[in-house]
Amino acid sequence: MNKALFATTAVAGIGIRQFKRGQSPMSERTALVHAIVDACAEAGLDPADVDGFVSYGDDKNEPVRLMPELGTKELCWSQAVFGGGGGGIAAAFGSAAAAILTGQASAVIVFRALVQGHSGRLSAAVMAHHLNDMMIAAGVMAPAQVCAMRAMRLFEHHGVPTSTAEEFVKACYYHGARNPDAVAYGQTFDHAQYAASRMIAEPFHLFDCSRENDGAGAVLLVSAERARDLRKPPVYLLGVTQGTEKGWGDLAENDVDYASAGFASVVRRLWRQTDLTPADIDCAQIYENFSAQGVASLIDHGFCGYEDAAEFVRMENLIAPGGKLPINTAGGNTAQGFIHGIGIALESVRQLRGESANPVPGARTCLLAGGPGSPTVSSAIFGSAAAFG
Amino acid sequence: MAHSSIEADAPYWAALDEGRLVMPRCGHCGTWHWPAVARCGECGNWGVEWHDVAPEGTVFTWTRTWHPFGGTEGIGTPFVTLVVSIDGAGGKRLMGLLDGDDAGIAIGAKVKGVVGQTRFGDRAVPSFHWHLAN
Repeated sequence: MNKALFATTAVAGIGIRQFKRGQSPMSERTALVHAIVDACAEAGLDPADVDGFVSYGDDKNEPVRLMPELGTKELCWSQAVFGGGGGGIAAAFGSAAAAILTGQASAVIVFRALVQGHSGRLSAAVMAHHLNDMMIAAGVMAPAQVCAMRAMRLFEHHGVPTSTAEEFVKACYYHGARNPDAVAYGQTFDHAQYAASRMIAEPFHLFDCSRENDGAGAVLLVSAERARDLRKPPVYLLGVTQGTEKGWGDLAENDVDYASAGFASVVRRLWRQTDLTPADIDCAQIYENFSAQGVASLIDHGFCGYEDAAEFVRMENLIAPGGKLPINTAGGNTAQGFIHGIGIALESVRQLRGESANPVPGARTCLLAGGPGSPTVSSAIFGSAAAFG
Repeated sequence: MAHSSIEADAPYWAALDEGRLVMPRCGHCGTWHWPAVARCGECGNWGVEWHDVAPEGTVFTWTRTWHPFGGTEGIGTPFVTLVVSIDGAGGKRLMGLLDGDDAGIAIGAKVKGVVGQTRFGDRAVPSFHWHLAN
């Protein structure tokens, strides 16, 4: 176990503003400032005392520009995780914790803001990060197509049934339909709708693809000691790993473990770092840009394998309160909303505070997995005080 | 648009303009590389050599795109994109479009490529277009 990192920092506050895509009534920066002020208000901490900021995924909001509206006294830590997809979401917490634990900052906001009128379509931004003439020549213009080709290999070559993708999506909609803050609140979703939805890029139907939303989310991380003096019950960061290993990366579809979500080395280090195993995880927020990549994330993290994926990835196993591993309990990127994944980080916190719309009784640990299929990915484990006695 | 002559993959594009496929291989340890590299990360050698390779291979994966993503207007939907393991280049994979009858498309199918172009906006990007063998 990495004792320096295990439960030595904690989330003290969260804030989010989410709108329909292209319909934000406020600017990207204003939405972000709202989210940060809300996160600080939860904690009972003056926003002016936030001295660090970390984002990921081509976020355009350079923290120094937030200072006039937050009243920031001192900016000590200002970073973004490399990588154009959502692979940096958990890694951002690692950066924030590194700053706090080494005394380089004391109150760090992890954020992601995205308002289409300001930053354009998310899918276009992600693709611009990678696009080159090799892809253009093959008609590959969107993340959906790249992930579809990986999904095809997962299904056709490795024999994982396509039912797993549908079951994953159904679990997301089950939770989203029961979450008043979700885009899919109150909606029904069944096999007939899934099967009838238009084809995007085989094997992906429309419902295999995440949404895009306008908005901003913010998570306030402080030392565990400081968090215990603030208003909300601390949600501790137990471990976090990021990156990739040889044979994976921005390799023009030459990745070795091609149909995976790219987590092999990140997961290996995560279990070693925390002394935890998949059996210790009570619920999980699995970044799903596309359904098959969510399934591949479950496989990569060791919750199941190619052989028993069909048995494990069934809706009843994946929903609160009674599933073996409730996932995306707010609805995930698919049914809650998609501000480049920051929503699933917030749900990790809500779930461990007992504030989720779909509570997992007695949940002590929550996995946050970011950016399946991205050249670099990251995972984190959060825990309540009960997670470590 | 001309491809930069200082990028690692410049010989690929230059050969494509001449109707040939070339792929890079380390002159020291023999490792095939794709994407193109200036230095072989396997052995540290800076001497990467380009070899003429037959545009023949095996379908590693594929997708048929139905949604008219921006930039694909010049191709027209639906169209099939392939990732092809190149037989003569250690199985290194290239992306490309499938032309002609696509009824037999599947992982493991044999394909042959011919040099063509892909319309992207007002650009014509040189590319290999693949056909199912047999």
